[in-house]
Amino acid sequence: MSVRYLARKVFSLAVTLYAVATFNFLLFHVLPGNPVRLMARAGHLDPAAVAQLKQLFGLDRSLPIQYLIYLRDLIQGNLGFSYVYRQPVTTVLGPAIRNTILLLGTATLLTIVVGVGLGVIAGARANSRTDTSVVVSSLVLWSLPTFWTGMILIFICGVWFHLLPISGINTLGYSFTSLGHLVDLGKHLILPTLTLALVNVAEFALITRSSLVDVMSEDYMVTARAKGLRRRVIVWRHGVRNALLPIVTATALYMGLVLGGAIQVEAVFSWPGMGLLSYKAVLSRDYPVLEASFLIFAVAVIIMNFASDLLYRALDPRVRQS
Amino acid sequence: MSLDERPGLPVEPGEDTLQPSSRIPWWRAVWGDRMGRVGLVLVIVVLALVVVGPMIFPFAASSFGLSANSILQPPSGGHWLGTDELGRDVFRQVLVGGQISLLVGLSATAIAMVVGAGLGLVSGYYAGWRDNVLMRITDFFLVLPTLPLIIALAALLGQSVVITSLVIGLTSWPQTTRIIRSQVLSLRERPLVLRVRSLGATDRRTIWVHIFPNVSPLIFANLVLVLAGAILSEASLAFLGLGDPVHVSWGTMLHFAFTSGAMSRGAWWYVLPPGIGIVILVLGFSLVGHSLDRILNPQSRGAR
Amino acid sequence: MTLLEIKDLCVDYTVGADSLRAVDQVSISVAAGEAVGIAGESGCGKTTLGLAVPGLLPANATPTGSVQLLGEEMIGRSEDDLNELRWTKVSFIFQGAMNALNPVHRIDRQILEPIRTHEPNTASTAAKERVSQLLELVGVSPSRARSFPHEFSGGMRQRVMIAMALACRPSLLIADEPTTALDVISQSQILSLLGDLQREQQLGLLLISHDLAAIRRTCDRVVVMYAGVVVETGPTAVILGRGTEQRTAAHPYTQALIKAHPDLAGERVLAQALPGHPPDLSIPIKGCRFYDRCSVRESICHEVAPTLRPVAGTAHLAACHLVGGDVT
Repeated sequence: MSVRYLARKVFSLAVTLYAVATFNFLLFHVLPGNPVRLMARAGHLDPAAVAQLKQLFGLDRSLPIQYLIYLRDLIQGNLGFSYVYRQPVTTVLGPAIRNTILLLGTATLLTIVVGVGLGVIAGARANSRTDTSVVVSSLVLWSLPTFWTGMILIFICGVWFHLLPISGINTLGYSFTSLGHLVDLGKHLILPTLTLALVNVAEFALITRSSLVDVMSEDYMVTARAKGLRRRVIVWRHGVRNALLPIVTATALYMGLVLGGAIQVEAVFSWPGMGLLSYKAVLSRDYPVLEASFLIFAVAVIIMNFASDLLYRALDPRVRQS
Repeated sequence: MSLDERPGLPVEPGEDTLQPSSRIPWWRAVWGDRMGRVGLVLVIVVLALVVVGPMIFPFAASSFGLSANSILQPPSGGHWLGTDELGRDVFRQVLVGGQISLLVGLSATAIAMVVGAGLGLVSGYYAGWRDNVLMRITDFFLVLPTLPLIIALAALLGQSVVITSLVIGLTSWPQTTRIIRSQVLSLRERPLVLRVRSLGATDRRTIWVHIFPNVSPLIFANLVLVLAGAILSEASLAFLGLGDPVHVSWGTMLHFAFTSGAMSRGAWWYVLPPGIGIVILVLGFSLVGHSLDRILNPQSRGAR
Repeated sequence: MTLLEIKDLCVDYTVGADSLRAVDQVSISVAAGEAVGIAGESGCGKTTLGLAVPGLLPANATPTGSVQLLGEEMIGRSEDDLNELRWTKVSFIFQGAMNALNPVHRIDRQILEPIRTHEPNTASTAAKERVSQLLELVGVSPSRARSFPHEFSGGMRQRVMIAMALACRPSLLIADEPTTALDVISQSQILSLLGDLQREQQLGLLLISHDLAAIRRTCDRVVVMYAGVVVETGPTAVILGRGTEQRTAAHPYTQALIKAHPDLAGERVLAQALPGHPPDLSIPIKGCRFYDRCSVRESICHEVAPTLRPVAGTAHLAACHLVGGDVT
């Protein structure tokens, strides 16, 4: 990977991040529904209080000045002050980000393994009975609203059979010191992970399948057969290895969808992550937290895209060397 | 007289159509495909229930008394699907809620299609700097995580059917733009289109007469899939408490079910029906969409 | 010993409810060390015939009849049993510019792959040494062994393909349009390479090509196929020989192909394209399959399908009512 390519990529990453920051500003500071106006509408504030609030949030300045202040704060890592938690937003975000990464990491790993596996089984034998059943069940899973799937799992595993904990991240207290706590954490992780994986597996299975089906008709696949290789070698070493390229691209795009799923799952299972945080921020109209959450979600997806670009380049020798 | 009928400009038959199959009406093609047929049936059943149902089924009167024996009651002869946390009939709510879900889904899709297909046509047809600028913008919006964006917008703009539709519509277009653009890019290099343009047809006319009819099947296939996605988005948004509180959709019902403690009371009759409604409707549309997609691109996705 | 003996091979394709016989009662034999060319326009069943030998037909094709490779019956053989013969006894070379090499693997790995699969006991160093020798043999510098396919030109890629085909020392090499889509100079070089290798290594070669000049240059015998059947077969020198006086192609289709070929038509004769196209095989044909396009057809040609009969001696056969003197 050449330094020049990397430099170009990093530059474009920087531009996109800047664009997202600006978009975020437009969204939360310029759109008609800005926090103070909404609060004024809801809480019957007298004009003096409104003016005071405006001053507090810097809304009495002109927009360009507000924008510059916003950028300065952002660079300094100052994401504002939460009305509800009465703490700097960054303090609130820290543990939430960690918990979400734990949940999303586990779920995404499971999703990719199962989804790609199913997609390969289906795509290697296009239009067979197995293929059709994978496609149809994927479409059914795709049609499940994430939050509702979580609710159903809560019914089955929590309410009716009392198999697993259905809410929160632990029952014993927040500590990773003993094995018991880890097991407890693991138990709490099962249902949210399962919900996310169940719904997202479909996307991966379908992408993998269609990508592999395209690859299976390539000439080099006939060459691989003519060479007398075993079927598994043909499918994996020659087929899946080539099918990975579109999968990597699509995966990055679907990260946005996965994050959307995470918000719903965290809301349903009260998993104390970014999703639950933004859900609560919505309910309590805690705009600074909502604003920071959106920014972090967007930045996360952009960084995933950046990573997938690099991965694509590492996987495809044709792009790598041109 | 249209340009392509001028003498000396022979137009080969079939030169200007996408696929031979685009000549048969789409519902016949979809009906001929097993998956497509199942999808159509599902959609039609839900449509019939939701649109006609509220007029023909007898609903027991809601007993708003909030007495303990009228709220969250399991299904009975009077209330086929039991009652909710306010003692209202769930069956009636499900049918009426379906109308709202469908309405929001359809309006959001209409907005997404106008924006998405419009930008796709312009971007693909003009190419050059306009294409460059539009594609940068499209890619930017393609990358933004949709649900967080919808949540932010809805939280800022307020809750109503109109705002929900607008918000979902204005965040669901980039994929459509991408698909339409790449099709238009290849169409504009077709001999017929090149000839028509070299003869001085206006851009608007070329787009409407020669390009749009050729991408419309593709737009339609994409529309059905966007619709499925929009219904899911509405449900998620409403579940998170950002739905129209007056016009209750399936998602809003589930929001109330979840926040009113129906879960811990085991009120499955309140939780299952709206969710099943969403699943069937979304599944129906996505089956039709995939079926259309296979009919339009038989070579890709390896379908027969 | 006969290397390859194809007897009464038929291949049927099923597409939905329709069935189509792409190869109909074809019999061809290739002796060890012999080069046989299969000629004909595209869509005549040449490629299907070639793919049928190592059992590489797509899933919707059903072969019947007999294909014996070194005495082993290939039709009805299981995939595992076929894998033992593939590449060790019969290798396949695909079209030059096509995607026959895997774009994401380095070429040494691709050449090594069949050696590792079929000769697991070969030491790693010996196998790598063989890869270098093979590359050298086909005129590719072994220093480029670690390159990816896209880093080579079309002609060089085809050389790599040939090196790969020889990796397990097969007895039979099937080359399907190996020079199509290459530039003229590469075409000539690849043909020379194939011819040299075939003679030096005493390889059996089945060269499938629409290019009669390529077949004349490399092959001992030629088989002309039309619409799934063999219409003429014989020594290359007799059928495609140099100059009109030495050439005795008997079937009107072969004659038309020669006329359509600028290299064979002769310097002063303008090549004449062959009008029309092969018939639709999903509709049964009663008489001669070439009837519609034939310039010398008679009424019998419409009614009775001709069978292969001797033209001169036993080596030269043609399936035409106008050959052999029994025209009614």
